[in-house]
Amino acid sequence: MKTIITRELLDYLKSIQFLGLICLTVLLFTANGLSFRDKYSQELDLYSKRMAEAYKNPSTVKAMLYRQPALLSFISEGGDEESPPGYVLSPKGTIGPLPAGPRNFKLPDLPEPDWAFIIKIVFSLYAVLLGYGAVSGEKEQGTLRQTLANPVSRSRLLAAKYTAIVLTLIIPLLTGMLISLIIVSFYMPQVFAAGILHKVLLIFLLSFLYLSIFALFSLLLSSVIHQSSLVLLTLLTVWILFAVMIPNASGILAERFSRVPGEFQMAKQVGPMIKQTVWNRIKSLVDKFSEGEIKTEEELHLQADRVFEEGREELSRHIKLYENAMKQRQRTGRNISRISPSALFQYAAEDISGTGPDREEDFLQDTRTYSAVYDEYILKKVGKLVAGGYFSFAYGGDLRNGKYIIVTTPSPEEYQGDKSDFPRFSESSLSISRSLQHALLDISGLVLWNLALSILAFAAFSRSDVR
Amino acid sequence: MLNTIIKREILEYLKSVKFLIGFLITVVLITVSTFINLEDFKQRQADYQAAKQELKSVNRTSGALYRAPEMLSILVQGKDRKLGNRIEVSSYDFPSRLSGYMGRGVSQHMRYKTGFEAVDFAFVVRVVLSLLVIFIAYNAVSEEKSSGTLRTALANSLPRDQLLSGKFIGGGAIVLGSLFIATLLALLIMISDKSVQLGGSDLARILGMFLVSALYLIFFYTLSLFISVRANRPATSLMLLLQVWIFLLIIYPNLGVFLAERLYRLPGEEEISSKQEAVIQPVREEINKTQADLMEARKNDFNSPQTKELSVKRFELSARRAELAHELEAEIDNQFTRQVELVRKISIFSSAVLYDAAMSRLARTGLDEYENFMTALPHFHQQLVERGRLMYRDPEAYRNSKPPEFSSSRESTARSFVGTAAELMLLFMFGIVLFSMAYISFLRKDVR
Repeated sequence: MKTIITRELLDYLKSIQFLGLICLTVLLFTANGLSFRDKYSQELDLYSKRMAEAYKNPSTVKAMLYRQPALLSFISEGGDEESPPGYVLSPKGTIGPLPAGPRNFKLPDLPEPDWAFIIKIVFSLYAVLLGYGAVSGEKEQGTLRQTLANPVSRSRLLAAKYTAIVLTLIIPLLTGMLISLIIVSFYMPQVFAAGILHKVLLIFLLSFLYLSIFALFSLLLSSVIHQSSLVLLTLLTVWILFAVMIPNASGILAERFSRVPGEFQMAKQVGPMIKQTVWNRIKSLVDKFSEGEIKTEEELHLQADRVFEEGREELSRHIKLYENAMKQRQRTGRNISRISPSALFQYAAEDISGTGPDREEDFLQDTRTYSAVYDEYILKKVGKLVAGGYFSFAYGGDLRNGKYIIVTTPSPEEYQGDKSDFPRFSESSLSISRSLQHALLDISGLVLWNLALSILAFAAFSRSDVR
Repeated sequence: MLNTIIKREILEYLKSVKFLIGFLITVVLITVSTFINLEDFKQRQADYQAAKQELKSVNRTSGALYRAPEMLSILVQGKDRKLGNRIEVSSYDFPSRLSGYMGRGVSQHMRYKTGFEAVDFAFVVRVVLSLLVIFIAYNAVSEEKSSGTLRTALANSLPRDQLLSGKFIGGGAIVLGSLFIATLLALLIMISDKSVQLGGSDLARILGMFLVSALYLIFFYTLSLFISVRANRPATSLMLLLQVWIFLLIIYPNLGVFLAERLYRLPGEEEISSKQEAVIQPVREEINKTQADLMEARKNDFNSPQTKELSVKRFELSARRAELAHELEAEIDNQFTRQVELVRKISIFSSAVLYDAAMSRLARTGLDEYENFMTALPHFHQQLVERGRLMYRDPEAYRNSKPPEFSSSRESTARSFVGTAAELMLLFMFGIVLFSMAYISFLRKDVR
């Protein structure tokens, strides 16, 4: 067995595919390390300044809650660049995203060259290029027949071939990971202080599981199809489907399947809603005030406050509904794409790196937990809780006897006293068990693919006509 | 003799399983993606029409403007969806970015779309058909050499140049034939739907897309031919070609962005906000002061000339603040554009980048159409300000005036073709260079 593995491995190491993979690995992982160094240091600097500013000026009107830049975004960026850098929390739990930084939205929409991308696209393709001729190629040359004439069982031969393919992929993979880690640790030793190595190890195991699927696919098709060029064509089709088509088409498919009203339909409802819940009622209040039915200005303000607040709450509910519908659609898209091992790998890598929608959801959960503490503090200091938010309304005019009166949305009050006991927001840290909990479904999917394909590959090879 | 070779090559390809599988995949993908994108376009078009209709029924001092979805986005999605479709401009608020229908600060549309890219005609040609071309041509010469038929063929009175030309024309006909069928299929799906009304200029654009796609695929064909001539074994030529393909389609475009981001640095968030603060703060202070004076004046007499003057002053200052904020944001947007231009320059040797740029320009789903829309905005804002001024100075004239109409010029078909000339010429030139190299290599090749 060892002899076969050594022979196969040597063949692969001498191949043009391996040379190409090594060159690309060095190039891509170096770019990854350098790119992360620049981005992370910028983000961290900005985050520190924002946090310092937030701590310096604690406010009972709104609290700025910033997301800590993900330490492992060089492993999987998870679309975080498009996510808000944090949220603004107002009393009564109103949460709104903060605008993203000055990102160049005009740049071509290319995926971030993180580890997940390099492994998901480049390494998987090389797994196919290395493994396509493993059985069919030898069959064409006639060497398979000769090999099996020796006392070597078919399962052992296939296991040896599988090991050789995986080892050929692992050598450049480890080299690349090391290059990236060296660059990152050279410029930012603090990254390693946090003890990320166990997560790196987990990503390595995940990569092994993922690449193993393509190695097994290659062996399976190579055993079933006799002509190696046809094997390669079929494998490339499978690769395009898994790595490109399914993950990309799932977003559009989700839109077809999930019944979410269009963005315009939702937007269209806003105007009539405000008219009905705010302006019609305010108009009737103003009329009552002009006619003297509402006696004092204070009474008018009190009643208008209630109307405004109810209107704001209604609007927030409407927007929340849309947000949740969009999130649900995103989840549907991700679930559809889970047919593909590439998507499973991508999502698991995001969960382990602490990026992507799952991590954002964790952060939102933290903000909701903090919101209760924040409200309690405001109630203690200010004595009342007035909801804040993005939306405010105002109505002004000559309401009675030429007197100009403005009625506006009530706003939260700023406490002017000592705020040294202001509650601090802390983002929950991502433990390895929590990461695994998030990634469990995707890891299980990868394991299942491996099991199914290994059974099929061994069955196909054992029944294959080697002549 | 040339005819015989061409005929033989075409028949060989048509009979091969690799062509059949590749062609079937192309047909299936083109059909599915065109149907999906057509439905998507219809939905966006319906939203756009409803939004425009809605706009007509409301007389406002501010103007919500909508960008129409491009019909040819069915074939080339480009950035059509991602750049936003709505902007609300008023005299005192003049944003420089588009948003979704829900407006700024509220729209989550873009955010939840991340991670999913478009699959369209351009994608199928760029990725799938280019791979099919490699598969067809990788063994055009190397296979014949390794099997010994090349030697036999050349033992006849057959000039080498004719053999290579025959292979080039035969294979090229298969490639262009597949592309033609794919384009025709997409076109038929489009016109079979009543909501798609293709005009003469649209057809010219589609013809242009066919031409760009043909040049792109010919580039890969000549590249495959060249490598097939140079390599002695078909397996070597295939591996080399696939690695060049990975480099050109995946690695090089990414490296272009990576380098451009480093060579052309964009201002940081802090730098931008401090610049904004420095420019806008004095105007903001003046607005606050005027507002305080106005409130005071209103308390004394709501309709006095002083109140009116102060109202006008506050209005004009607010409009000025909006203009300044817009100018600053527009300057940052210009820097974004310059960075994108640098990406294009760096990626000039990537056929995939050239192809994408030309296709999105022809489909009007690239940045150029967006820039056209954005450059028409300052004039519209100016008209809103002038009308708003009337509201204070001459309310009667204001009531009689019509809200300004927004119009932005769309790029003409001729202009789009001129705009893609550089990409077309480069792709053509690469094809010529590679064919010449293949030709020379084949003439000097040891066929034994």
